[in-house]
Amino acid sequence: MNKPSSSSQTSLIQVTDLTKIYPNGAGPIQVLREVDLEVYTGEMVAVMGPSGSGKSTLLYILGLLQAPTSGSYLWEGVDILSLDRTQQAEFRRRRLGFVFQACDLLENSNVYENLEFPLIYEGVERQERPPRILEALQKVNLGHRLYHSANLLSGGERQRVAVARALVNRPQLILADEPTGQLDRRHGHLIMEHFEEIITHGDTAVIIVTHDPDIAARCSRVCPMEDGVLHGLK
Amino acid sequence: MRFDDLVRVSLRQVVRHRRRYIGVVLAIAIGVAGFISIITMGQDVKKNFNEDLAFIGGVTIIRNVLEFRPQHPLTEFHPDTVKAIQKIPGVAMASLVGFEQIKGFWKGQPEFFSVVAVDENFWKMRGLEPRTGALFGPLAVKEHQRLAVLGPRLAQRLFGTIDVAGRTLELDNDIYQVVGVVEGLRDINMEKSIYVPLTTASDRFSKKLITDRLYVRCATWDDVPAVAKAIPKVVQAHQSAKNLLVEVSWENLTHVKRVAFWIEFFIYLAFAATLILGGMGIWNIMMAAVRTRTREIGLKKAMGAEDRDILSQFLTEALCLSLVAALIGVVLGRILVELLGLWVGMRPPEELFFTCLVISLIFAVALGVGAGLYPSIQAARMEVVSATRYE
Repeated sequence: MNKPSSSSQTSLIQVTDLTKIYPNGAGPIQVLREVDLEVYTGEMVAVMGPSGSGKSTLLYILGLLQAPTSGSYLWEGVDILSLDRTQQAEFRRRRLGFVFQACDLLENSNVYENLEFPLIYEGVERQERPPRILEALQKVNLGHRLYHSANLLSGGERQRVAVARALVNRPQLILADEPTGQLDRRHGHLIMEHFEEIITHGDTAVIIVTHDPDIAARCSRVCPMEDGVLHGLK
Repeated sequence: MRFDDLVRVSLRQVVRHRRRYIGVVLAIAIGVAGFISIITMGQDVKKNFNEDLAFIGGVTIIRNVLEFRPQHPLTEFHPDTVKAIQKIPGVAMASLVGFEQIKGFWKGQPEFFSVVAVDENFWKMRGLEPRTGALFGPLAVKEHQRLAVLGPRLAQRLFGTIDVAGRTLELDNDIYQVVGVVEGLRDINMEKSIYVPLTTASDRFSKKLITDRLYVRCATWDDVPAVAKAIPKVVQAHQSAKNLLVEVSWENLTHVKRVAFWIEFFIYLAFAATLILGGMGIWNIMMAAVRTRTREIGLKKAMGAEDRDILSQFLTEALCLSLVAALIGVVLGRILVELLGLWVGMRPPEELFFTCLVISLIFAVALGVGAGLYPSIQAARMEVVSATRYE
């Protein structure tokens, strides 16, 4: 099982024998093969591997965006795969934050509106939203871009807004799918600095999917992945 | 998702994508404006057409004659009978008329004139207007005044002109003052007649005037069959109706009604088509929106939006779209009603307009929900992972 050296920490997620098989006319494709993973609060885990190794699929399953074929997924000891569709949505908005590779922001919206959506879905009162949005933006040093149009931001700024959006609901786990994939080295490292800042408080964990060894090197631990098999600690 | 957030977010989407929606909004707005103006002004326009006797060929006039038959004594319409007929639903007015050949003198020579004794309703009943001078009114009838209106052919024959107001004429040893020449008669014999007040003729003619003709004008052509059916019963209730002849231009009436039906049908069809196209437009545009906003849907679901949040957002967008279109349609409809009101010269009842307004808004809600429901369900059911990976 992939777990950190320190056993004194609290386990946030515990995944056991996770398997994902896609049905296919030419024969089923096994993307994940009995993956075991344990992640603790306050750590940043890199899942590293080549394209097609199954790392994004693992991330989607961990984010309850996709169901595994078999295996178990415990969150603080509770089986969360048994949640229904609505409960899973509720779980996502309260516990998880996502950062996607493609700098996905809502087009034709400004930065404030992009960050407001998670709060709208959470049912946060309107007057409570501006300070929380500003707080999240300040964590990525973009407080001055509050009402800028998302379409006019640079690639690096867009990704930092995406990180701020993932933070705005104060999640316990941030799942980032190649968050620096479309950024240059300088902006990539800037994003990593933000992630490092986030985990220093010790109440949030980050799982990053990447194929960049430099990015992986900045994580607490690296889990290499190949052909759907997650290898041991590095 | 709270209701105020839902409306705010949906309206924002509609406003920001207004260029994409403008065609659909206009189609629905025109349909709603057409609906409001047709329903609100339809009755007034129809009434207006019904009053234009030249336009409809006088099909709303029912001619009632108490025929002379050897086995029956000569009869005339009693005043009670006329009053009762005027109370039949659908009757706009009734006019009692008597015809007589009266001896007069013209340039010292005796001459027989066709005289039509008419009441105060006769002119309006037949849609007649003065060509020159004036037509005598209710006061002349009430006061039994010796006034005469000439048919244009008679005026031309007697005086060589139609400007005859102020001239005099001797009829049955009485002098009558000519007040004008009438226009709009569609009968050559009527154009050669003299028109005098019914009361005056009854008093002064040496021969007893028999008022055996009663013209009844219906409010609309739709009233004609029912009124024609009711008249014999009403007459029978007050006097003998054995020699009563009720004449309706059935052929012309059928023709006019058929033409009116097809005009109305095609107008409704055009507006129904506009509204159906508008509904299909909403369907299409929402389906396209679901496709083009697939990544947005996936992203929102990843942020924690539930299926019902996505469903309600797309549905509210469709509703906002149709309601905004309906509101524009109501404003356009109001403008159209005002313009039509000026043209027709009538003001429709405000209650009718507000009823139409409410119906339009209800219709818009139904259209928005009906056309937006399926695309919204599609959006809500979308799998997050395929949506976030959608290119």
